Amino acid sequence: MTAMTDVCLRRPLQRPSDAAIALTGVGKTFLPSGSEVVALTDIDLTVGDGEFVAIVGSSGCGKSTLLRLIAGLMPVSTGRVEVKGHRVSGPDPGVGIVFQTPVLLPWRTVRRNIELQLDVRRLGRSQHGKEVDRLIALTGLAGFENSMPYELSGGMQQRVALCRALIHNPDLLLMDEPFGALDALTREQMNAELQRIWMETRKTVVFITHSIMEAAFLADRVVVMTPRPGKIREIVPIDLPRPRTFETFRNPVFHEACDRIRSLMSASGLME
Amino acid sequence: MRNAIYPALTAVILVGAWYLAVLFFEVPRYLLPLPGEVVTRLIEDRDFLLRHGWVTTYETLGGFALSIVIGIPLALLIVSSSTIDRALMPWIVLSQTFPKIALAPLIVVWFGLGLVPKLIVTFLVAFFPILISTIVGLRSMERDMDELRLSMRASVWQTFWYFRLPLALPSLFAGLKVSVAFAAVGAVIAEWVGANEGLGYLLLTANANLDTPLLFAVLVLLMVLGMVLYHAIEMLERLLIPWHATIRLKTGQPSF
Repeated sequence: MTAMTDVCLRRPLQRPSDAAIALTGVGKTFLPSGSEVVALTDIDLTVGDGEFVAIVGSSGCGKSTLLRLIAGLMPVSTGRVEVKGHRVSGPDPGVGIVFQTPVLLPWRTVRRNIELQLDVRRLGRSQHGKEVDRLIALTGLAGFENSMPYELSGGMQQRVALCRALIHNPDLLLMDEPFGALDALTREQMNAELQRIWMETRKTVVFITHSIMEAAFLADRVVVMTPRPGKIREIVPIDLPRPRTFETFRNPVFHEACDRIRSLMSASGLME
Repeated sequence: MRNAIYPALTAVILVGAWYLAVLFFEVPRYLLPLPGEVVTRLIEDRDFLLRHGWVTTYETLGGFALSIVIGIPLALLIVSSSTIDRALMPWIVLSQTFPKIALAPLIVVWFGLGLVPKLIVTFLVAFFPILISTIVGLRSMERDMDELRLSMRASVWQTFWYFRLPLALPSLFAGLKVSVAFAAVGAVIAEWVGANEGLGYLLLTANANLDTPLLFAVLVLLMVLGMVLYHAIEMLERLLIPWHATIRLKTGQPSF
């Protein structure tokens, strides 16, 4: 309970020295077939340690590209990306990623899929056995350790992906529309569980979504992006206590935030 | 077991129709023998047939093994180096548009009548499906998975061992099944061009003597050979990649 109160009282940290992620003047240009495509331009964003930031925007606004720049999966064209004060120049060991699809290896059991992260990073499966157990329990996968991925529902598969992204104890959890392929009910349930897991693990989270409700429900701050070229339109703070519940959906503050995000997106003529 | 009833029933009907047709239309026996005569021949000449069958079997297996030993490493090279890919692939594809069987006489001229020309012809016919299916399999990594292994900072070797190789296995096995069937074709044709033993050689001899029961007996043996090899690979597939979807669908049925 003390952990919860602590999280409730905590406010997003804005000072760069405390920043888990700092983006300054970040731009990304692609050259798909000779002609330049500006995916991102002038991105300045600071994410505090332990903060949950959601990035919303329509398709093509470069939000997934932004996540990949933070993850070090591709280099920036201009500006700089810093994670924990270090300039990102490649995949960082302190990052865990959950992708749009669970990308589980169909030949490995649930447990072995989580351990893949340990195997590849040479972290020693036996030392982390208890941690695997803890994450399996935390994500509600207990009893499914030895199941094969194809035996699980989409939501369960994404839980496995979440465990795999957390098992090496990264500082940063990056999530790229992780629940986009799930049905509405499962998605709401996963949102509530993600909040609970975040409150227990206190990771810094960057969460990409195109769902305004999802962003406002989960995040401390919602970054609204507009496309062509992709840039930050505004950052909307969500001033709601934790843990947020289904009651939150009836809270006027929640509605104001959602309306604000929606109007920012529609002002650019970008509502889908 | 219930699934075996249907093909067995088909066989009984076909053999019955064959039997009746020969009697009813009074087909000369040198054109079409009775099923019973073929069976009799298979039993009477079993040592002789098995000896020749064994020759074709090891030619087939040898050429098939050669296809694996050369095809898979070549696929690895092509996938790992775009230079090698661009230098070799057009020629490999061109070589396959050419009827490789047409090379058999030349190969006999160069290498004589022994085992070597048989292995070469068999290899030429059987290696392409292995090469192509391995390449396709090794390249079948989706973007998300590629980024996952990047984010884990997997080395080239780890990427191959943890991701690419297992991902390639279903495709590779599809190629192996096609290849092993081709290998038997290659071995028989190599024997036609120049041999003094083997099932292909027996076919030619039986043909020259209008010995149709022997012809049919050899065909039965070739069928058995093909079936055994195909199912051996399928069993290996089940053992190695039980997770693979097509097999999963099959084992999902209670009776199979």
